Amino acid sequence: MTFSDFVGHDDAKLALILNAIDPNCGGVLFAGEKGSGKSTLSRLFKEILPEAFPFIDLPLNITEDALMGGVNIEDTIKTGRRVFQPGVLGRADGGVVYIDDVNLLSPDIASLVLEAMGRGENIVEREGIALRHPSRFILVASMNQEEGVLSPHLLDRFGMMVLWEGLKEGPQRIEVIKKAAPDVFGRSLSREDRCLRDKIRSCRSVLKDTVIPAETRDYIAQLCIENNIPGSRGDIYLMYAARAHAAYCGRKEVTRDDVDAVAPLVLAHRKRVSQQQQQQQMEQQTEQQEGRQEHGEQTGSDGQEKQHGSQSSGKHREPDGSRPDQAGMDGPDDGGRQQMESNPKEEVFETGGLFKTKRIILRKDRVNRSVSGRRTKTGSRDKSGRYVKSVQRKKDDIAIDATLRAAAPHQKARGRTEVILIRDDDLRFKQREKKMGHLVVFVVDGSGSMGARRRMVETKGAVQSLLMDCYQKRDRVSMIVFRKDRAEVILPPTSSVENASRRLREIPVGGKTPLAAGLLEAYRLIKRATVKSPEMRAIGVLITDGRANQGISGAPIGEEVRKMAQLLSELSLTDYIVVDTEDKSGFIKTDLALQIASQLGADYHTIEGLRADCLVEMVQMKKVGVFGF
Amino acid sequence: MIFPFTAIVGQDEMKTGLILNVINPSIGGLLIMGEKGTAKSTAVRALAELLPEIDVVKGCPFNCDPDGLLCSGCREILESEGSLERERKKMEVVELPLGITEDRLIGTLDIEHAIKKGEKRFEPGILAAANRNFLYVDEVNLLEDHIVDLLLDSAAMGVNTVEREGVSFTHPARFILVGTMNPEEGDLRPQLLDRFGLCVQVGSIQDKAKRVEILRRRAAFDADPEAFAAVWQPEQDGLSKGIMAAKGRLGRIIPPDAALERIVGVTTSLELDGHRADIVMMKAAMALAAFRGRVSISDDDIRDVAQLALSHRMKRLPFEEMGVGMERLETALTGVLRA
Repeated sequence: MTFSDFVGHDDAKLALILNAIDPNCGGVLFAGEKGSGKSTLSRLFKEILPEAFPFIDLPLNITEDALMGGVNIEDTIKTGRRVFQPGVLGRADGGVVYIDDVNLLSPDIASLVLEAMGRGENIVEREGIALRHPSRFILVASMNQEEGVLSPHLLDRFGMMVLWEGLKEGPQRIEVIKKAAPDVFGRSLSREDRCLRDKIRSCRSVLKDTVIPAETRDYIAQLCIENNIPGSRGDIYLMYAARAHAAYCGRKEVTRDDVDAVAPLVLAHRKRVSQQQQQQQMEQQTEQQEGRQEHGEQTGSDGQEKQHGSQSSGKHREPDGSRPDQAGMDGPDDGGRQQMESNPKEEVFETGGLFKTKRIILRKDRVNRSVSGRRTKTGSRDKSGRYVKSVQRKKDDIAIDATLRAAAPHQKARGRTEVILIRDDDLRFKQREKKMGHLVVFVVDGSGSMGARRRMVETKGAVQSLLMDCYQKRDRVSMIVFRKDRAEVILPPTSSVENASRRLREIPVGGKTPLAAGLLEAYRLIKRATVKSPEMRAIGVLITDGRANQGISGAPIGEEVRKMAQLLSELSLTDYIVVDTEDKSGFIKTDLALQIASQLGADYHTIEGLRADCLVEMVQMKKVGVFGF
Repeated sequence: MIFPFTAIVGQDEMKTGLILNVINPSIGGLLIMGEKGTAKSTAVRALAELLPEIDVVKGCPFNCDPDGLLCSGCREILESEGSLERERKKMEVVELPLGITEDRLIGTLDIEHAIKKGEKRFEPGILAAANRNFLYVDEVNLLEDHIVDLLLDSAAMGVNTVEREGVSFTHPARFILVGTMNPEEGDLRPQLLDRFGLCVQVGSIQDKAKRVEILRRRAAFDADPEAFAAVWQPEQDGLSKGIMAAKGRLGRIIPPDAALERIVGVTTSLELDGHRADIVMMKAAMALAAFRGRVSISDDDIRDVAQLALSHRMKRLPFEEMGVGMERLETALTGVLRA
């Protein structure tokens, strides 16, 4: 199998070729399904590179020491001089670094790799070593979005991104198998590959003389402005990619065509949907959905409708005080009114008043993990964490610098000759810690019943108060809203509580209650997050009145909810809180949320209770073992 | 080769914030908040070229000021020899990388010396190098908590005290903290936020002509950095001279009571606690006036530094975005300055 033989995926091949021609192109990220050939192509890439490059596969569990470099223990002991052992970033200089599943790499490590790529240099300040060395490499990475996304900040640092779609056509798929059949990784270089390699070499030599006319630069800037590209990286990478493309096509001047040819590669992952566009999109979506609903549910019109109609302006409308469950299902509108106004189910409530919650305290456990937040202290079990200080204790993770420091002053007295004399009591071991908060997933009921009696205002107040606690404890937060026919992750895990707070404000209310869908989404999200950091602790906060009335599979709704709760309760290292929003002063109480809470093994609170409880020391915290407010 | 400071297109607030800190280091640093790819790091690294020279004790790893605070080593020399040799040295931008370990930050025992000589000697860390210089932390909001604690400690005291591995050492650690952060990536601890004298927000440039210009300069720089730097040298020299002149002029500025009243008027009408905001605003206004070639503070100076000095100190509800306070600031300024 050779690079040229690789079937389909011309855009991916182009991206690699352009990076080979000019490393200024900033690397490439392949985003697509598993088993679709992303890594195969990436490995074939080295065949077309003119020099014998180091090709480094970056393992996901790489430690900071191994990445950046550290003390070479053997040489240091022998010589008594600190000897630097280069890490991956040192060995990668002049080559290719390939990261499979880059979205599963810990963000700290990803940050360090991308920073080094951007600078073309690695700065080491650790374990007594201070130095810089060149680290210029082409970064090729792959990810499968289903397993979690990369933060926009990291995404922006990649020069190009290719959305990798599996080949759908029969003939192409057959071709793939044929090509793969004889020899999976044939060592012989095909004639095409050799030609390509020569071409890349000659392109490199003409690159400097390839002119970028003012008109083309103009076009690049225009394109970036039109596409809402933040910052300047998009413009710059687009310019270099277009230049490499021109060279590849044998042109001496970069034209609009070159820019157009590479623009999808450079801009796709940088496009920012402006607030306005976003709103338009959302409106369109709801219009469509409302349209459907209106057709399906032409029932039960009553006096309320007129009321809504007359309160025509603004999103903040006083909700009617009628039967809560009906709010999501009530009936027809006369088509004459404007869409926004005609939509009694779409309401956005403001965030209610803040109150101080009790500190959320997690159960202390004896799991020694590489995670520490500001919430729960925990030590490290493996060698993956950051080395924070050295201790005098038996373990297998020797802190060589500290050990040497302990032994050093005695060398003269011990009569050192050739090698350093280290005694048992000189040995020091690393104490590691990794920065990582807990993940708090808010699962918020956004159905019509939440609009009743301004429940949502109170709910938002409660969530906001919990967010404040999360902020102080450096947790990561995520938010899922379920309403109408589905659940949606409106905030992927982030440590920016400011973002969370903004999203919270924007949560609309209306429609049915697909509780099971909400629970399923939470399950998926926590599951995904645990892939990334297996020892992370998660907290699910479910905020609902528990009145599910929309299923996902067609099975009885209550059954579905029970099953989902069961599934969630089996997740390890995850605790739950249920905040019941049902109006307890009312005539009929269902206490459905209480049932869910017991299925989840969750801490249960009513919204009123949340406030009241905050005045009381939560003794039961110890008993329940989860946390209190 | 570093991209010349003066060749950075736009981002004037950020440049002003940096320049004011060069003119008067006691302003207390700058926090640059902004989205990705907005020349934040480029600007700070480029700053180094423009920095003035300072008097230091010759050979001292802590850049001790011969007329000011001294480290344990310099004090001993002064006591035994009666005087200190001095030299002039350019200020530097010292970088604090995210992966830094505690011992490299605060310093530790010098292994080599200990092994060879059998005696304990202090090996300086980043805080030593940063004394009287700029300490630059890219993505400061992603810094490990235990590193932030150490940083805050010495920033507050102006001194780094090391007690580890049997070494005791104290040296001055007065640095100008410059940090960048992308708020989308997470918040900054309030104690750290307050440490920064000034704060600017940078955004994407929406003007097409400017974006084209960025591309043109970037292409020219990458193609031939030396030639590019040569073209910009006159500009660089001009700015450098301007900063030096401003530094000289700064000592002659005595802020009149009227100006102080206006500054306090603004901060009190915004109900800001503490005096740090007042002091920073005064120092920044003085530096700006000096940079503008004057020895008296004008209303414009006060107006222009207000946002730099106050935007991150405005009282805001938890999680209220920073921009929210800007209108209040504008109202306060208009009210006070017109009076």
